[in-house]
Amino acid sequence: MIRKITITFISVLLFINIKAQDIQETFSGTRILNGHSIETLKKNMLQFRVEHRFGDMLSGWNPSNIIQNWLGFDQASDIRFAFEYGITDKLMIGLGRIKGTGRPYRSVVDGFVKYRFITQNKSAKKPVSMTLISSSTLTYASASSDETQIQSFPEFAHRIAYSTQLNMARKFGERFSLALMPTYVHRNYVLPTDVNGLFALGTAFNLKVSKTVGIILEYYHTFHNKINSSGDIIRDKNYNSLSAGFEFVTNGHLFQIVLTNSKGLSETQFIPGTYSNWLNGEFRLGFSITRNFKL
Amino acid sequence: MEDSSSIGVENISLEDLLIELGDSSYPHSLEKYDKKKFNIGKDLINNGRTIRNGKKTKRISTFFVCIDCHNIGREFNLLESQSSLDRLNFAKNNFIPYLPGSTFYGIYNRTSFYNDDYVKKYGDLVNKASNNLNEAIQVCAKYCSSGRYLDEWELEAIMHYFKGNELKINDLDLNYEILLDIENVANLDHNQKNDLKNKINSFYRKFYSATFLPAMDVNIRKYGDGGNVENGKFIYNKSCLHCHANSRVTYLNLGNDKLSAEMFEKNLSNYSDKSLYQIIRYGTYPKAGRKQYMPLFTKEKMSDDQINDLVSYIKKLSNK
Repeated sequence: MIRKITITFISVLLFINIKAQDIQETFSGTRILNGHSIETLKKNMLQFRVEHRFGDMLSGWNPSNIIQNWLGFDQASDIRFAFEYGITDKLMIGLGRIKGTGRPYRSVVDGFVKYRFITQNKSAKKPVSMTLISSSTLTYASASSDETQIQSFPEFAHRIAYSTQLNMARKFGERFSLALMPTYVHRNYVLPTDVNGLFALGTAFNLKVSKTVGIILEYYHTFHNKINSSGDIIRDKNYNSLSAGFEFVTNGHLFQIVLTNSKGLSETQFIPGTYSNWLNGEFRLGFSITRNFKL
Repeated sequence: MEDSSSIGVENISLEDLLIELGDSSYPHSLEKYDKKKFNIGKDLINNGRTIRNGKKTKRISTFFVCIDCHNIGREFNLLESQSSLDRLNFAKNNFIPYLPGSTFYGIYNRTSFYNDDYVKKYGDLVNKASNNLNEAIQVCAKYCSSGRYLDEWELEAIMHYFKGNELKINDLDLNYEILLDIENVANLDHNQKNDLKNKINSFYRKFYSATFLPAMDVNIRKYGDGGNVENGKFIYNKSCLHCHANSRVTYLNLGNDKLSAEMFEKNLSNYSDKSLYQIIRYGTYPKAGRKQYMPLFTKEKMSDDQINDLVSYIKKLSNK
């Protein structure tokens, strides 16, 4: 009798546990496309990432680009290699090396810390998942002698840029996830026609076609004054980052194919430094591949 | 009907009794049981590591702990059974995982390991392990769990854990006449002792059979027709999700959701790794860079009917 009562009690506890489970796989990986997602790597998981952005596919809608640049495959706008690691199931870090777009940064190292502090859970009345990401990039490129250029980097601190993001996401049903990403980017050194601190609001969705295939859209809208204190028009050549892609999940890998008007990888590049316009055919193909290793 | 406790033999260890009846001790027999070592063994089995000299010890395996594949408690009402139906019913009634490995409960009293078809998978490795529990544990630690050989103290601790969970007389479903014989064992002659030993040995298993089956031919699969959906749901939750829920052991994350079910349903009629008929019978193999793998289920650990039950649940989940 005691045995039966014990088993029933354990069963009820387990049932409650199942009902109270956190929502899984709001996004398939730690990145949506260019930017972070709410997901973190699990404890002791090491991830190797390769991210690549090619050149413009149809710049100026000029058909000769198809032949001359082979849809941009001949060029590499940006490349990132990184190792990222889950310290706990909620806390992860990453360290990467980015080629840099050259506008303004080249030869960049990046690092970030990411902490997931709320996980969507219906039973616990948590309607969304929330993650805080703090990242930084440092360019170690040789300084230019042209002092009118940012790349002259008069001081070491000028080489550094930061980004802080509150990433919020909710999974609706089994297939659809929506994310909102208020982001603040600070670059220590910018041109007079730019701003050091830039606020952006990102939004994205992921639609899972199947267990392994998903369709993704990501957009970051920047907010800033149109003119500076001297009356100059600022950031008039910049565009907001808009990316579309699809992903394919396999056992231990995540492949993403992306079409984006952003050249740069990392928040300090693609949010403040997108100079391409989709409407001019200035978008490019990119991909990211991840491989997980359990340590 | 009187039970063992009423005549005071309930706590006699099965090993001690069999020795008294003329058996030699097990090759892995421990002379003295140590509770401290038992607790260390328990830690190793449940967590894959322990605390020693104030420090965490090195994990036995990065990928698995013992209880990913083995229960530590009883799996059958009647210990002489190895029927997959009995095992499933017991698991359902007691809400325990339904796993590919045999339980550690009573393993101390077993004499044969990696039986029958396991030689197909592990080859010569099972030669020494097949009749030696110490060797069997080492093969499991190094190869089955993609880990390392155990240090001597670890192996000893695990053996003490097994000793602590050895079978006692009251674990067996012995009848009153046998219990009386046990109580009067000192007065039995050689033949009577032999007779009693044979009777006792028929009440538990010294080994579990292991039959590897091929993936069922696509033309004879029932695809869930006539399957027991409730059984299937239990198997999905207590076998598949035991490892796959929240990607706990593997990268493949599964849940009681339509997307997971659709993935399986699409592949029911092929021989790919996503076909339940295939993956359950063959599992996967560890490879460089991805050492975690899925062990196969033998016929004894999951019958074809139970796979059909599982498929019937998957189809229901897919169409919900």
